[in-house]
Amino acid sequence: MAAKTCFVIDSRDNVGTILQPELEKGAGVECEVDGRVTVIVLKEEVPYGHKIAVKPIAKGEKVLKYGLAIGLATKDIMPGEHVHVHNIESTRGRGDLAKGR
Amino acid sequence: MDKFWGYLNPDGSVGARNYLLILSSTLYANGAVERVARSVFGTIPIIHPLGRAQTKSDIRFTFNTLVGTAKNPNVGGVVVLDHFREEGCTAEEIVEKVAKTGKPVEMVNLRNCGGTLEATNAAIRAAMAIARKISLRRREEVPLAKLLFGLNCGTSDTTSGLSSNPALGHCSDMIVAAGGRSILAELTELMGAEEWLASKAINKDVADKIWKVIGDFEQRILQTGEDIRGTNPTGDNIAGGLSTIEEKSLGAAKKSGSATIQGVVDWAENPPDKPGVYLMATPGHGAESITGIAAGGAQVLVFSTGGGHTISHPIMPTIKVTGNPFSAKFMADTLDLDLSDILEGRLSLEEAGRLILREVIETASGKPTKSELLFEHNTGFAIHRIGMST
Repeated sequence: MAAKTCFVIDSRDNVGTILQPELEKGAGVECEVDGRVTVIVLKEEVPYGHKIAVKPIAKGEKVLKYGLAIGLATKDIMPGEHVHVHNIESTRGRGDLAKGR
Repeated sequence: MDKFWGYLNPDGSVGARNYLLILSSTLYANGAVERVARSVFGTIPIIHPLGRAQTKSDIRFTFNTLVGTAKNPNVGGVVVLDHFREEGCTAEEIVEKVAKTGKPVEMVNLRNCGGTLEATNAAIRAAMAIARKISLRRREEVPLAKLLFGLNCGTSDTTSGLSSNPALGHCSDMIVAAGGRSILAELTELMGAEEWLASKAINKDVADKIWKVIGDFEQRILQTGEDIRGTNPTGDNIAGGLSTIEEKSLGAAKKSGSATIQGVVDWAENPPDKPGVYLMATPGHGAESITGIAAGGAQVLVFSTGGGHTISHPIMPTIKVTGNPFSAKFMADTLDLDLSDILEGRLSLEEAGRLILREVIETASGKPTKSELLFEHNTGFAIHRIGMST
């Protein structure tokens, strides 16, 4: 396995993990999406180990990593955008949500 | 790589160490325990803030933890120090359980001895006698099947789920294939990974138990009425790129590899003899989790970290590994194994698993971890509690 700049673990995933430090806005990263290697342009600076969208993700849609849901998108996310706590949220262990029910 | 050198115990278990434990049964014996441990070469103190005025269920947690820690195969002998007589966690009750293993165990009560200094003298003399006796023990070569292996992770980041955790899973698979057992724990950090774990259960009963034990733990979290985000994933997890507890969980669960999950055990419970992976009910709190695993009898634990860590259990060697190339450099003093070649494309997960297994065998056979060499015994012992103080 060669070193990957953007690691997409499962073909179902709509996010990939950036594995190169100090990548800036406008940088093109190679990643494998639906079995094809494509270049995605970063829409912002993304720190080492953080995720980007590799497919469009609509607000309310599941964010998929390891082929499984890691949370829901809280806004529309375009490929190349940083995916993190500002645009996805957890659905588990949320005592604050349970309280409101 | 299917054997290690360990100390054969009278109860048939095999120790990776031959520690003499100075154990505090209630927090008010902590001072004397530390004084005794400072005075006798090679002893390990166990102190804690509990053992008194707890709810009955929490007293049982404390008791089972102290008994399990003293019974751990790595402990060659024990001196228990006590202050009060707290029903459910007295030195007498601890000693009665530990003595059944056949290892030497002595008890000193501060009140019966004429105070803390007289008790110190009595405990030092008891410790010296046990130390001389257990120093005669020698390591023997034993099959890897004798290993109960602990799995844990902490200060996780996105490299954990991509490299060090799946590599650790391969190591666990090899230990199980050799007839050994592994313990997976940290229920908070399995929320979202239930389906994958349940698919590896030996039968439907165990699959149901996996769902239930994680579900019950989530209910306790929900009952707080608080948003878990920011405390788990923790601030350092989020800085490391993990966005949600589900993402952390799916990466964390990879530690358990592909072997069959044989059962679900309680906090500090010794799993049955059958080879395989066992899920222990502990929280995600690193020190509490590894304390439960050690009290369940694990001789060695591998702690997989993304951002780097200092954690080390007092009597269970805690091997720390990372797949993050930056942490491998700036936390090199306490990390035992650098697996960053995985993400650099130079090392397969299977090869990394074999490197971890070699480290496990060497450590179980007597090689000290970096944290053991640095006397960082106080970074990995904490007893879980549910209720209030009474």
